[in-house]
Amino acid sequence: MSTFMDVFEQRQSLLLETLWEHFQISIIALVIATLISVPLGLLLTRNHTIAEPIIGVTAVLQTIPSLAVLAFLIPFVGIGETPAIIALTAYGLLPILRNTYTGIKEVDPALKEAATGMGMNSFRRLSKVELPLAMPVIMAGIRTSMVLIVGTTTIAALIGAGGLGEIILLGLDRGGDINLILLGAIPAALLAILLDIILRLFERTSAKSGFRSLVSLLVAGVLIAVGPLAFGGKQQDDLVLGAKLGSEPAILINMYEILIEEETDLQVGLRPNFGKTDFVFTALQEGSIDIYPEFTGTALVSLLEQQADSNESQDVYQQAADGMVETYNMAFLEPMQFNNTYAVATTQELADRYSLETIGDLRQIQDQITAGFTLEFNDRQDGYQGMKEIYNLNLDVRTMDPGVRQQAITSGEVDVIDAYATAGYMVDLNLKVLEDPENLFPPYQGAPLMRQETLDRYPELESILNQLGGKITGDQMREMNYQVDFEDRSPEAVAREYLVNEGLIDE
Amino acid sequence: MITFTDVTKTYADGTMALEGINFDVKEGELFTLIGPSGCGKTTTMKMINRLIEPTEGTILIHNKPINEYNIHELRWNIGYVLQEIALFPHMTIEENISVVPEMKKWKRKDLSKRIDELMDMVGLDPEKHRKRKPSELSGGQQQRVGVIRALAADPDIILMDEPFSALDPISREQLQKDIRDLQQKIQKTIVFVTHDMDEAMALGDRVCLMKEGKIVQLDTPQNLILKPANDFVKDFIGERKSPWQTAVDVIMDQTRSQIYTESDWNSSAILKVGTYALQDEQGEYAGLIHEGERVDAPAIENSSTLKKAMDIFEEQPYPILPVIKENQLIGTISYKDIALYLKSQVKEQNGVMNT
Repeated sequence: MSTFMDVFEQRQSLLLETLWEHFQISIIALVIATLISVPLGLLLTRNHTIAEPIIGVTAVLQTIPSLAVLAFLIPFVGIGETPAIIALTAYGLLPILRNTYTGIKEVDPALKEAATGMGMNSFRRLSKVELPLAMPVIMAGIRTSMVLIVGTTTIAALIGAGGLGEIILLGLDRGGDINLILLGAIPAALLAILLDIILRLFERTSAKSGFRSLVSLLVAGVLIAVGPLAFGGKQQDDLVLGAKLGSEPAILINMYEILIEEETDLQVGLRPNFGKTDFVFTALQEGSIDIYPEFTGTALVSLLEQQADSNESQDVYQQAADGMVETYNMAFLEPMQFNNTYAVATTQELADRYSLETIGDLRQIQDQITAGFTLEFNDRQDGYQGMKEIYNLNLDVRTMDPGVRQQAITSGEVDVIDAYATAGYMVDLNLKVLEDPENLFPPYQGAPLMRQETLDRYPELESILNQLGGKITGDQMREMNYQVDFEDRSPEAVAREYLVNEGLIDE
Repeated sequence: MITFTDVTKTYADGTMALEGINFDVKEGELFTLIGPSGCGKTTTMKMINRLIEPTEGTILIHNKPINEYNIHELRWNIGYVLQEIALFPHMTIEENISVVPEMKKWKRKDLSKRIDELMDMVGLDPEKHRKRKPSELSGGQQQRVGVIRALAADPDIILMDEPFSALDPISREQLQKDIRDLQQKIQKTIVFVTHDMDEAMALGDRVCLMKEGKIVQLDTPQNLILKPANDFVKDFIGERKSPWQTAVDVIMDQTRSQIYTESDWNSSAILKVGTYALQDEQGEYAGLIHEGERVDAPAIENSSTLKKAMDIFEEQPYPILPVIKENQLIGTISYKDIALYLKSQVKEQNGVMNT
């Protein structure tokens, strides 16, 4: 198992890139939250009656889970940085607003009266007396918001906004690769601490100048965050390909991109690493993305909420494709061969020793082995419960977290685990997937999903993407995933190599 | 200079804070507002710089209604000293003093000179204290800065809202003395709110005693003692007053038994034993007759205190003092009168004499 320092060295460029994205998103959200909250807070101190209701509204915003805010925003503003910044801004409002209001309100009334009695107008009183005196409290609010925002920015990765959350999600996707999770989490914490120190220094050195210091802080923030954006002007893409989190979808959309750009003049953009099926599907509906690879099983069960009529791959695909047209007016092109379903895996060594090929073969040694299953797999009918019935097994099962499973089988504590069939770690740990001749596990084949209108507009896409139909075996997919996840090759290089080997494109 | 005409303040809930306030503060006068808490003295004062607006009535400054002035300019010309001192804690001493002059767009050089001058005036070394923060100063020093901050832009009027009540007794006494000296020098019109009768009596040219939103009595300190308008005034003053502060006409012999006219003297109708006062035909004091001799001796104003009377007795051999009011001889007072009066004012408690 690789140590943290190895992972750090391997992923340095990814770390720098996501750290910068993280910093940028956080700062922009913080600046916007400050720009809204401070003036609003000041306004409220001049109109006490509406103060509590408005602060209440920001409190409500705070209580909505950030994931829910993101999901809610996708239909309106799409995916990427915009919804992330909106959600984070909403998150950061309350501490700044409340502290601004309280800070100004709590300024000694005698000082306010002295200022008024000496003939200061409202603005002068604010800028010369109230703001400087309330500054420490306001800055405390900004610092609280900053920590909240930097922490919450990790979820921005779920909607394709990037940031350190990408590394954390990657780690979670790798079955809880603790080093990767730390590689994302530690810089996020350090970033929060660093920014806190900067803000604190700033607060101390400029306690006197009130307005000016706040404004210069905001300007600095905007410059840092937005400056680089001004140079990298974004070009408009004809087609945007989205993908869920992980190496496999990333490799697939790279293949799509290469094929489409090879055979058409369309400009294709990629948005990999969306967290959840819901997010990427909403983004597809809303039009932020145009195509993404979806599993037949997921389309049927999660998106259409139907029961599979049969466990035959072709039947499941057909049922899903029909449903997608009917319900969502979407086209589901031909699936690839590999099946990223649940799988039962054991070590190659054990498989060799007992000539294990199918799940049923486990019966002969079921008294000698221990299984490590996730809670969910252990409980599902298309999981261990089904295995017991169909393969007549009775294993000694220990339930455990997904991340622990791999370590447990490496250390020999368990001999059999559940897994995703095409996961890269199968190769890394040299695991053997046991066949499922009874089709206990429903098929999860990848296929391109797009809105019908996209296909109508670019009908050539169908033939282009269907070149992959029936291609890519489970072993090939696993190998490619392994190369991306463990050998650190880029999804693009792996995708291109595959297409060249298959003769779909020239070198 | 400051004229209140039928000023009334009613709050939204119907409570009447002030009712029919009328007075006229003269130029250069130190005018004290006093009364029990809730009497409306602070409300009255804050109406002058429009921190509180009256419900009815008019307030004039220099014969012009105050709401016809620009409110900020009005306030720049009215110094304001607060009970809480209220120096801005984030500003240095010089920045605090500069607040109003800066708004009045004073030149930097003039301002700097003014700061030195003011700090010297209240005994703060400018070199040492200019750049300090208020928190580095003692309470007494802080309120000195509070006073010169109010004076900084050379206002016509200064409002002081119980300025010394937050200070320890020693600082308070020192500052009261300083204010009296300062007032001699700068001759500003000062409206001074206090709840301390001794302070009001010691400082005020006139004292305005208020109760429940009304003026009970507006008079010189002496007249408050001499001619209290009612028992409330008497109680309010009496509790604090030493019998030595009693005016001579309160206890003088008003029977005129010791007074003769000049014609009595000329007709030798006056006894050769004892001391008598003499008045001329216009009723004015014309000297003493002592043991049959006509002598020149000082008289005393009716409003002077018994203490003052004793000071005069100490300097001359005669046992009685003629008392005059507006040049008219109105009575006499003797050693014996004073001694008996003082005795009557002493309460005996557990063998201890208390005045």
